[in-house]
Amino acid sequence: MSFQSLISGSECAAPANPLSQVLKHTEADRSIQQDRFAGPSSSRLYQLPGASSSAASGQDLALARQFFEANHGGPAFAPSAIPELSSPQMNEAWVAEQQQHMRMFESSKAQSHWAAEFDGSARQTPLPQPQLLHSDPQQPQSYMPQAGMYGNYMPRTNMFMGGPPLMQSYTPPIADLGKGKGKSREADFEAAFAQAAAFLPQESATSQIVEVDDGVSEIDEAFKSTSLQDSAATSSDFKRVWDHLQNSDAPPPAEDLAKWEAEFNQLMSAQRDDLNYGNAMQEAWESGLGDIESTTFGDPPIKFDNDGLPILGDYVFETNNKYLDPSNSTSSPLSDAKALLDQNGALSEATLLLEAAIQKGDLGEGGYEAWILLGETKNMDEHEEAGMRALNEGVKRAEAAGASGAGMMSLAISFTNESMDRASHVMLLRWLRARFPDHPVPEETVKAMSMHSSWDTHTKITDVFLNLARQQHSQGIVDPDLQVGLGVLYYTNGEYALAKDCFESALSQRPGDYLLWNRLGSALSNGSKPEEALGAYREALQLRPTYTRAIYNVGVACLNIGAHKEAAEHFLSALALQEQTSGETSDQLWFTLRRALSSMDRADLAELAKRESKINLDLFRKEGFDF
Amino acid sequence: MADDLKVAGFKSSELISSLGTAFASFSPAEKASQIKKTNGIFEITVNKPAGESPAAENATWTIDLKKTGTVTKGKAATKADVTIIMDDEVFVDLASGKLNGQKAFMTGKLKTKGNIMLATKLDGVLKSAQGGAKAKL
Repeated sequence: MSFQSLISGSECAAPANPLSQVLKHTEADRSIQQDRFAGPSSSRLYQLPGASSSAASGQDLALARQFFEANHGGPAFAPSAIPELSSPQMNEAWVAEQQQHMRMFESSKAQSHWAAEFDGSARQTPLPQPQLLHSDPQQPQSYMPQAGMYGNYMPRTNMFMGGPPLMQSYTPPIADLGKGKGKSREADFEAAFAQAAAFLPQESATSQIVEVDDGVSEIDEAFKSTSLQDSAATSSDFKRVWDHLQNSDAPPPAEDLAKWEAEFNQLMSAQRDDLNYGNAMQEAWESGLGDIESTTFGDPPIKFDNDGLPILGDYVFETNNKYLDPSNSTSSPLSDAKALLDQNGALSEATLLLEAAIQKGDLGEGGYEAWILLGETKNMDEHEEAGMRALNEGVKRAEAAGASGAGMMSLAISFTNESMDRASHVMLLRWLRARFPDHPVPEETVKAMSMHSSWDTHTKITDVFLNLARQQHSQGIVDPDLQVGLGVLYYTNGEYALAKDCFESALSQRPGDYLLWNRLGSALSNGSKPEEALGAYREALQLRPTYTRAIYNVGVACLNIGAHKEAAEHFLSALALQEQTSGETSDQLWFTLRRALSSMDRADLAELAKRESKINLDLFRKEGFDF
Repeated sequence: MADDLKVAGFKSSELISSLGTAFASFSPAEKASQIKKTNGIFEITVNKPAGESPAAENATWTIDLKKTGTVTKGKAATKADVTIIMDDEVFVDLASGKLNGQKAFMTGKLKTKGNIMLATKLDGVLKSAQGGAKAKL
């Protein structure tokens, strides 16, 4: 195939023309830009240049050689302006003229050696038929050399001067190509093209979506280097092909890229919604702070400050406190309260005394003692919310007074009971730093406290506590407070067996601490060992019979065992205790009592068991509850 | 109401319905306090373990502890704050306390979409689904 026809791509030659195939292909194939995930669709690309060029080029090269050799020594009249030939009338006219010429040659008998040669070859080769031009792409090329031979002869015979316009109008664009280098250049081009084409399948086989741009530019570069190989003599035809390639290629990629980018973004945002921890954390952080006001039911939810501590309201004092009555004036309600607590007095009485002490300004040591004692007493009496507020106030005052962690442990435990794990962790860390200022706490841990979720803070703070506990252990010290702190940490994370161990080791130091016995019991109870828990509670109640929370916990343990009636009786006895001691009954007690009654299929009684209904507890005695 | 929550073939179904019963027995004040504590809408999707032939491949419940304080079957009417996805037995282990949320999450047994901070409260919410209440320290 001649280079000219290779480039200009006569229509009938098209099927065998690798370049024009590629043109079509690059117009059609978008596999580079599209859907890498579906796998490369460009297997055709692989075959195309190789197959068609290897099939065609051998023959083409031979033909081209023949053509160029034949063209030597005369003006290059290559009637390979085949588009014109493909018009049937033209072809007919052409054929007719040829036949006429041949007849003339024969009849004139002015045959040169050339004429004889031609005669022979003309007889061997059947004259091209118009339909052949269309059906067989190779035919025009095989015709060309012969036409060239005619061309050589024409000036001499001058027969064609008035001939069909196609001869005259034809300007040989490949005159400069006819200098014998066409063959090698064609080979060069083939090689370069194969090289460039190799990029295409390679590119489409990779699944790196981001590199579409690079892919295009790589091909671009490949083409540039191709033209560099041909450097000086690069024909304008080649450039035209390349321009065509680019022009036909450039706009669709832009579109496709945009489309593809949209798809990619869609995919990514779909994934982003999924299980991305980092984003989830961020969302959590953001939505954890905002969107608080949108509650429609009941009180607004608890707000937390930047440290993760709940923002609690002020402590609400009992409005009708008999100890505030001037007629009932004691010298110091605080010391009275302490005395009452020491004598195992009623907790409700003690809280009233403490409230009176606070309201009278009898705050005790450092201005926080009364507050902390009030909070702890309230918690013992199963009034978690009030206790938490009092403790919060006490801790604030203690911190201001520079006390080393007073009340912080109690507050942390209170947070734990209310499932405010993060607040509990924050408070435990504060306690540790106040109590053991020398113990190193990683900066990261401190930062994490206010930023991270309770799962992360738990891990970090447990490390800190464990380090300290190990350090103490190596020195032969067992600090019960530290053990309690560690126990609470395990408890918040549901590791009740470990929590139990911690509370037990704390008890080994302070066997008379009823609070500790109760905590041990709770760790056992929540750790699915309610039977063992009952033993611990018994210890606590022997030390402190009015310990309302321990009574409540016994009820909970009974409930978990399935002894609903006994559970209800315990709750009722706790409620009775609170009522007798002029205290406020606990919502928590009523609620759990109701649950026990529901489990007994006594929905009628459960309906009555509400603090708001202010029923007489004797009603339950009549129902057969013994408390 | 509790029966409406059940989905045959799911062990978690029982736990969910007892949670629903517990919620239904809340007084308004208790409901308010639960909501106050939790303030979130949980959407729980439980996958059925392979092998058995379930009525459905997975079941979804919504625990609304933000507005209504109820447990319902199916997806949340309003957008859930957090969606928690796990297997049936993981849910059972979580509710019984054999497994805690953190461990489940770290080992990939529990997956979340949305507010992970709320997912940390799931343990507490599920505790109230148990027959008894939680003992206090």
